[in-house]
Amino acid sequence: MNATACYFESAMAQESTEIARGLRRRDPDLLDRLIEQYQHRLLRYLVHLTGRRELAEDLFQETWIRVLERGHQFDDRYTFSTWLFAVARNLTIDHMRRKQPASLNGLLNDDDAPLDVPATGQASAFDMTLRREQNEQIAAGMRHLPAEYREALVLRFQEGMSLEEIAGVARVPLGTVKSRIYRGLSALEPWLKGAPL
Amino acid sequence: MNIDVHERARNLIALAGPEALPGADETWLAAHMKACEACRAFAENAHETILALRAIPIAADRSLVSTTQMRVRRRALELHRHRERLWLVSVSCTAVTLGALLSAVALWRGFAWVGAQAQLAPAVWQVGFIVFCLTPALVAGVLLLARDTHLADHTGSYEG
Repeated sequence: MNATACYFESAMAQESTEIARGLRRRDPDLLDRLIEQYQHRLLRYLVHLTGRRELAEDLFQETWIRVLERGHQFDDRYTFSTWLFAVARNLTIDHMRRKQPASLNGLLNDDDAPLDVPATGQASAFDMTLRREQNEQIAAGMRHLPAEYREALVLRFQEGMSLEEIAGVARVPLGTVKSRIYRGLSALEPWLKGAPL
Repeated sequence: MNIDVHERARNLIALAGPEALPGADETWLAAHMKACEACRAFAENAHETILALRAIPIAADRSLVSTTQMRVRRRALELHRHRERLWLVSVSCTAVTLGALLSAVALWRGFAWVGAQAQLAPAVWQVGFIVFCLTPALVAGVLLLARDTHLADHTGSYEG
């Protein structure tokens, strides 16, 4: 391992330790900072996981309340984001179970519920339109994927998590994560060219 | 070329992410891609899909963030107060227990002294001591039963 990698690893470990210490104290300033820092990532994950923006926003708030209450359970050997996403995931599953007894496998498939994709700004004419159409198609494709595939794709390609981290969040074997990513990506491929019949 | 070879190549393409592929896999994949047009197309599409996936703009509103921060602060305050109350109750319980132990010892000695002065059999003053100690709890129990309200709510039903 080179010096830069070592430096980043020790900086991350130190950050995790500081977060763990602050969470044990239930430090509201630290939580404010963490909410700011992870706002977009957490919301994006929840929107993709639930398929519904409104529900995702409710779960977003509940997740942070849970982080406050259970902060002492955070193990600083892991990264905070992995633990945060696992907390959010468990809350989502609890919510879905309350609504209807099911696991994450049955987590959505409400085809009418639009994945909330606001229009992007800037860039120019044709390219922008093309790119936006493609994004919308992929967003529509995501809506049709099983929740566990969506989750794997979001964690991998939007959050840039390692396969091991995803396995930690989803609590499934590494092989399952690999297969979900592969299948999810393959299932999205037809959507890139337009909605499949 | 056998179908498993393409499956393997596509798996590797899909899994190539933040971490690099192991050297041997990378070399094998590069060689395979040179020869296989279908897998090259898959790689291109996967790349486009990932780009499109990353470009889906989902952002938290300012109001959501500030509402969450406010709720978290309020809950933190509640938990802090709850912990303070719990601490007060613990201290009170400890003080009451210590007080009860000390007064029980003092009372025991007092009853023994009175028993000796009145030349009573030890069993008599010991029963007296037990009755004295139990009387407050018995009186309180009888009073509560008499009022018949210690378990019932306003409508007279019992709370779980």
